[in-house]
Amino acid sequence: MALFFQTSQQGFQTLLWKCRLFWPVSRCQQLFAVSFSIPNREKVSYFSFMTSSNTALPVGSKRTDVFPTKKRSEVNSEEKHGWDEETKEISEGKCHFSSSVGAPKKHQGLSRHKFTNVQPPEKPLEAEEWNRLRESFPSPEIFEEVMFNSMVRCNSPIDVAKSLLTHVAKSNGDVPYNLLVKYLVLCVQQRQTSEICDVYDIMKIRFKILESGAYNVLIRGLSNSEQWRMALTLLEEVKKIMTPSRTNYESCIKAASRHQEMNLAFELYHEMLAKDLIPTLDVLQAFFDFSRGMKGAELQKELFGILLYLRENQIYPHKTFMRSIKLWFESIPGGNWRGHLTNIKDSGQCPVCNHQLEDSDLTEEEYNNLRERIIRDVIHGTDTFRKTSPQEFEAFQTFVENRLPFDIVIDGLNVSHIKPRKMHCENLFDAVNCLAKDNARLLVLGRKHMLINSSNWKREIMKEMQNKADFFFAENISEDDAFLLYATLQSGKHCKFVTRDFLRDHKACLSNSLTRHLFRKWQRGHQIVFSPSVKGKHIKFLPAFRYDCVVQTTGDTWHIPYKDTFEEKDSYRVPRKWLCIQQK
Amino acid sequence: MQSANMLLKKFVRSSVLPFAAQHGMKKDLFPVSRTLSLSLCLKQDNSCSPSEKLDLDAWKKVMKSGLQEVSETVSEHKELSTLAAAREMLEMWRLAGRSVPENISEEQLQAFMECPSKSAKKKYLRYLNLKELYKKNDRRKMDEKRERRLETQEQASKTDETRRNSFICLWASCMDRAYSWRVAQSMIFGQPLVFDMSYEKDMSVREVTNTVRQIVLSESWNRRSVDPFHIHFCNFKDDSLYHKEFVKHYRAAWGKLLITATDQCYTEVFPKDKLIYLTADSPKVMKTFDHDKIYIIGSMVDKSIKTGVSLARAKRLGLETAALPLEKYLLWNAGAKNLTLDQMMRILLTLKDTGDWKKALEFVPKRKYCGFVNRPIHELKKSLNLINTLKLGKRQEELQKQFAKNYSKKLMQK
Repeated sequence: MALFFQTSQQGFQTLLWKCRLFWPVSRCQQLFAVSFSIPNREKVSYFSFMTSSNTALPVGSKRTDVFPTKKRSEVNSEEKHGWDEETKEISEGKCHFSSSVGAPKKHQGLSRHKFTNVQPPEKPLEAEEWNRLRESFPSPEIFEEVMFNSMVRCNSPIDVAKSLLTHVAKSNGDVPYNLLVKYLVLCVQQRQTSEICDVYDIMKIRFKILESGAYNVLIRGLSNSEQWRMALTLLEEVKKIMTPSRTNYESCIKAASRHQEMNLAFELYHEMLAKDLIPTLDVLQAFFDFSRGMKGAELQKELFGILLYLRENQIYPHKTFMRSIKLWFESIPGGNWRGHLTNIKDSGQCPVCNHQLEDSDLTEEEYNNLRERIIRDVIHGTDTFRKTSPQEFEAFQTFVENRLPFDIVIDGLNVSHIKPRKMHCENLFDAVNCLAKDNARLLVLGRKHMLINSSNWKREIMKEMQNKADFFFAENISEDDAFLLYATLQSGKHCKFVTRDFLRDHKACLSNSLTRHLFRKWQRGHQIVFSPSVKGKHIKFLPAFRYDCVVQTTGDTWHIPYKDTFEEKDSYRVPRKWLCIQQK
Repeated sequence: MQSANMLLKKFVRSSVLPFAAQHGMKKDLFPVSRTLSLSLCLKQDNSCSPSEKLDLDAWKKVMKSGLQEVSETVSEHKELSTLAAAREMLEMWRLAGRSVPENISEEQLQAFMECPSKSAKKKYLRYLNLKELYKKNDRRKMDEKRERRLETQEQASKTDETRRNSFICLWASCMDRAYSWRVAQSMIFGQPLVFDMSYEKDMSVREVTNTVRQIVLSESWNRRSVDPFHIHFCNFKDDSLYHKEFVKHYRAAWGKLLITATDQCYTEVFPKDKLIYLTADSPKVMKTFDHDKIYIIGSMVDKSIKTGVSLARAKRLGLETAALPLEKYLLWNAGAKNLTLDQMMRILLTLKDTGDWKKALEFVPKRKYCGFVNRPIHELKKSLNLINTLKLGKRQEELQKQFAKNYSKKLMQK
């Protein structure tokens, strides 16, 4: 009997959701809900059940041992409503909380993930209809919240949301804050400016301060409307309580520049930089987009400033951003700028304007600074014993001092794995032979296990190699990379190093961003990598970059490297494509 | 209400006048869109559509009217102290449904304010919230238990049967006494196990509390084992964070604990050649449990895995190191190979009692491995060779040639 009822109820429920034309059906459905789900829930409320672990509910509550398990499973099976199965957990879980105050919030986590199958109605409903829906819902406490979430997801008309709010207000005499925020999100989604303002007024009357979420939504909504100046006043309000997020600034800056208030936009931009917020590329692009064709030396200076910001932080714009830059340059009245897309030659010459790009050498001071930092942060770190030992490092230092200067430092173990089908020592031998032309002084770094005759390390070959290059063998548990960096830096500007490693972990050891940028610059200019495409027997190397790959200018030319896609490339990868801009 | 609705109907039907019956403040910003939305409703042709009867902006009226008195009190905007402002902020977050604790003490609020970044703040609040929920739930369970106990007592008093038993119910204290005897014996004759307490400066406060909690667990496992270790806390400074946390956990029992705590280093207490430092970074793998050696466990929880910190300690002192043979016996799935201190303790205890790796490594969390490696080594080698030949494909003959050179010509002829 019971089973029959359940299935019929389920049928009704799905009917109800699938074709909401037949509203009268809901009345029948209502009957079942009353006769069934409620008693069920009462039964269940004596138990405490385990719930899924990603919720705010405590996990691992042991089942109570009052009732025999059989009975519990019966209840379990009876709980299956027409809603999807997962909701079961909630309706059981919520019985933990007898207090009605905190209960809805406990399910924040739940409501966000579950109930994705709830369909909001298409038209505004009467109070009774809302009531009916609410009661047929497995956990009425969070009904409104779930409903609003699904409205936002389905982008329902705001009248539907309004009717629900009205129903809530009439039955409770108040609308809870979280519903207001969700309603606000819906309004922002549909650009209902007047509604946004109304909700804001109500919120201001009702609450002393708002929280960051509401401010975010409000600022985003208002900045996209004619009322964008209100977004600015809101930003001021946010500043009183906390640091605004970068998206807050982004909305305001975009709004200001959209309305050609460039000075205001730049004011906000500098304020944002002063607060150590990192502007999104979107914001920077907006500046270029909206100042297209505008005159003014001041404005030009500011935009050049943005380009220099890209240079200092080694940021490469993506393709669309690059296009905005190009168009802006070409639109400067009387500027006569022309932009071309190009690839820079290996020699560092731009094929369009024949201009030689900056070379990647560091100054003497930068060199010393970087070397000190490498020794302090990378080699010693918190404990010298982590990567090497003091005796070993000292031995290495004297070893290097006695044999300076080297031209190329090789990471022996890394190179020995180039071709997986060859013996390790053969790979290394090839590499050394390849690099040992024109009397270059080589240093190969390895570990002591390379000296033990084995299938991969033949003693004869090792011997032969040691005639062509200097070798230093570290302990087997030491880090050889740190030695590689040290030896290369110690040898001076002309010295390059060979490894396939991107050195990300070593970069991460450096303590400040300035040094990290310096490290990357140095790495770009001094790392020799293998050319991967070679299928032959010989190992080929790509020379290190001769020119520095950053945004650069000579006053009447700009060279800007750019990425093909928006996806953030790793910092060790260098774009090959350039935008060359010159003034005729 | 009714009459107003009638009016409304007339309005709408008669014309597409700008509809301004709203009570909102910025009512005539978008008059056109308003009428549009209404006319849309009308187009849906069912004349008994509920939307006509609904006053959609009623909620605004309710909110504004019901809050006249409130607004008067609120509008007195006075400058709040930063703490109070933070409290307000949290309250709003809670209303918005974020995971924020309901009650927060002054110290916690201070800690919250001192969090360096927004994400740190969020994490801290989330942690407090979870803690609160756990507490609440525990209390709820306790209450339920109490009720149940009272019920059973009532039932028992009704039946009122007297039980006869030769043992008085003193299980817990008897057990405690027995355990204490065992540990006391191990203090004299047992194998030492050292916890190296020199990692305080490598950890955050929360990591230290976690460490202490794990050590307390380990100590209790040790106490309940058949043949306990003699636990040493070496490099243990009085008035360190460790110490404070221990006192918090053990309270009065801290003074009576059957362990040796010393501020000396283990190298001063024991002969160097007997010490083995257990660390996951060690290149050497432990083959068997040695009953004559003294194992050292670093008391450190490193949530962000700090590679080589404990290995560096051992290197500095020139000690032997070892790692558990996890790779050898388990098909590792995911997760870091550094285990918690209590897991370590139980593994060592099991090894000490049985010497059976399979049994001992039961205590490695199940999520971290797929199963035990139980095939003999030579079979594994065979499959490895197979994989190699598959990987190297064409070079099989060459491999065989090398093989032949190295071994014998007989194989070539076959």
